[in-house]
Amino acid sequence: MSNFFKLLYNEQFKIYIRKSTWVMYLLLAGIIITLAVVTNSYGDLNEKYQQDNWRDVLQEENNEINEHLQENEQSGQLTKNNFYLENDIQPRAYDAWQFVMENVFLLSLVTLFTIIVAAGIIANEFRWGTIKLLLIRPLSRTKILLSKYISVLIFAFLTLLFVLLISLIVGALFFGVNGDASFVQNQLGSYAHVSIYGEILKGYGYQLVTLLMMATFAFMISSAFRQSSLAIGIAIFLMFAGNSIVAFFADHSWAKFILFANTNLEQYEFGEPIIEGMSVGFSITVLAVYYIIFLVVTWLFFTKRDVAGQ
Amino acid sequence: MAEPAMQLLDVKKNIGNKQIIKGISFTINRGEVFGFIGPNGAGKTTTIRMMVGLMNLSDGDIRIMGNSIKSDYKQAAREVGAIVENPEMYPFMSGKQNLLHYARMIPGITKERVNEVISLVGLEKPINDKVGKYSLGMRQRLGIAQALLHKPSVLILDEPTNGLDPAGIREIRTYIRSLAEKDNVAIIISSHLLSEVEQMCDRIGIIKNGELIATQNVHDTSVEKQVNQILMEVTPVKKAVELLKTQHDIESTVNNGALVIQNDKESIPQLIKTLVEHDISVYQVSVTKASLEDKFFDLIGENTIE
Repeated sequence: MSNFFKLLYNEQFKIYIRKSTWVMYLLLAGIIITLAVVTNSYGDLNEKYQQDNWRDVLQEENNEINEHLQENEQSGQLTKNNFYLENDIQPRAYDAWQFVMENVFLLSLVTLFTIIVAAGIIANEFRWGTIKLLLIRPLSRTKILLSKYISVLIFAFLTLLFVLLISLIVGALFFGVNGDASFVQNQLGSYAHVSIYGEILKGYGYQLVTLLMMATFAFMISSAFRQSSLAIGIAIFLMFAGNSIVAFFADHSWAKFILFANTNLEQYEFGEPIIEGMSVGFSITVLAVYYIIFLVVTWLFFTKRDVAGQ
Repeated sequence: MAEPAMQLLDVKKNIGNKQIIKGISFTINRGEVFGFIGPNGAGKTTTIRMMVGLMNLSDGDIRIMGNSIKSDYKQAAREVGAIVENPEMYPFMSGKQNLLHYARMIPGITKERVNEVISLVGLEKPINDKVGKYSLGMRQRLGIAQALLHKPSVLILDEPTNGLDPAGIREIRTYIRSLAEKDNVAIIISSHLLSEVEQMCDRIGIIKNGELIATQNVHDTSVEKQVNQILMEVTPVKKAVELLKTQHDIESTVNNGALVIQNDKESIPQLIKTLVEHDISVYQVSVTKASLEDKFFDLIGENTIE
């Protein structure tokens, strides 16, 4: 076991000694700080509700909206304000946790970086020629492959943790931390009172599905074609074009078996899935099948194929 | 009695429909330096890649210290240190970091051993510099250091003096000889530089078009006897050719008006006697010991890739 740990150490060492990895982290930190500055300067931080007369402030706001509202027109703000008033909940002051929650979109960037690392971790060894010295050690290729795959997952996890922690720290410095964990959230037109920690966990969790699937996909392409640029290209293209692909084939009965129709598990929480007849169980099964196929193909290419000359 | 370190048993390799390696068998003993030579495309690198497990064998087997590379890969690989083609290392890591990286992949390599290997190849000074800044010669030394980390019984070096200056070549040569003699390591050196192989190796295997066409001991005198080239200046040449064929069953060629035959030194007096008896004037007889290079070209002929 310690043997395997050393392999993991090697792979992590090779990822984190490179400057390009640190550029990724600096980029993330830079984006988070910029977001905090922008939110602090221009965002609505709910400060006006933080006095004792917050009920009057809300009521006043409602009156103002009603005045400008045309007939038969709906106002989201009005509904939201009414929800606060009806349930006697004081709107929560914007804080670090809310900042963390809003930064969930940064996970697509984490996915992108993980794809880059996953695409390179095998292909680069071929590009550098070091694969030869790596594979002549008295270790099975399966073990070396596994150490590389787990290293990709560790990288993804650490980067995710980095986004969470830096968002929290930067958020705390700019907005402070609110002791109140409850949070009012729009759920398809109606509002509900939910825990912010739960929302953060869910939001990040849903994104992890795409991250895991696309990183594994890039890893497979990297193993099959031994070329990182191809793996990065295909994976990123599919990641962004995924929804369009599903929409394009939506009329076909097999469209629900497309990977990207199933990566968004959030679709089952509220309302209808994008294609009729799909359920959470169905999507998880489809995802599992894809995942296993990706790993088996990766393994076959890595362990069975000759390492021939360039 | 010589102990075999590596045995190739009718090794074959097919790529697509083409047979790249057509059944190679040979044995390398402990303490022996074996030169593996052949023209480009002959199958040297393919054979070496099969020896270290980078390529699968289509047929046959390779045994390293008795362990089959097919069924006991881990045991077999434990006994092998190698450089395959260029000594490529991670350019963004220092020499030391590279060595520690490979040291972590085999249990039982201590920090002391890593330092020992570094001083062995004389890389103490630049060992903490990034490998990207190394010259080819320095990378070659680092490659050898990497191959020696786990004290292998079989050392495989592909073009080991490539990129080294003459002093470096001599150093490596001395080092290879001492590894073989003192540590009883079997060393396989592939090269296209014949003179170099001649100086370093005990035995030479010549590979051409995927076949091992000859193995020869470099220092064996009995071999020299066989390949003596005898040059005779005689007239008339045509009659002499016929005579040698009918009387002694010797094939001869005519080169620049001179008769060229390959035979034992001991046969010369008898040949001259025959020629003189048949009224052929003999002006000059000279014996040249064919160099390894001549043997090599005799054996492989044109440098063609089938």
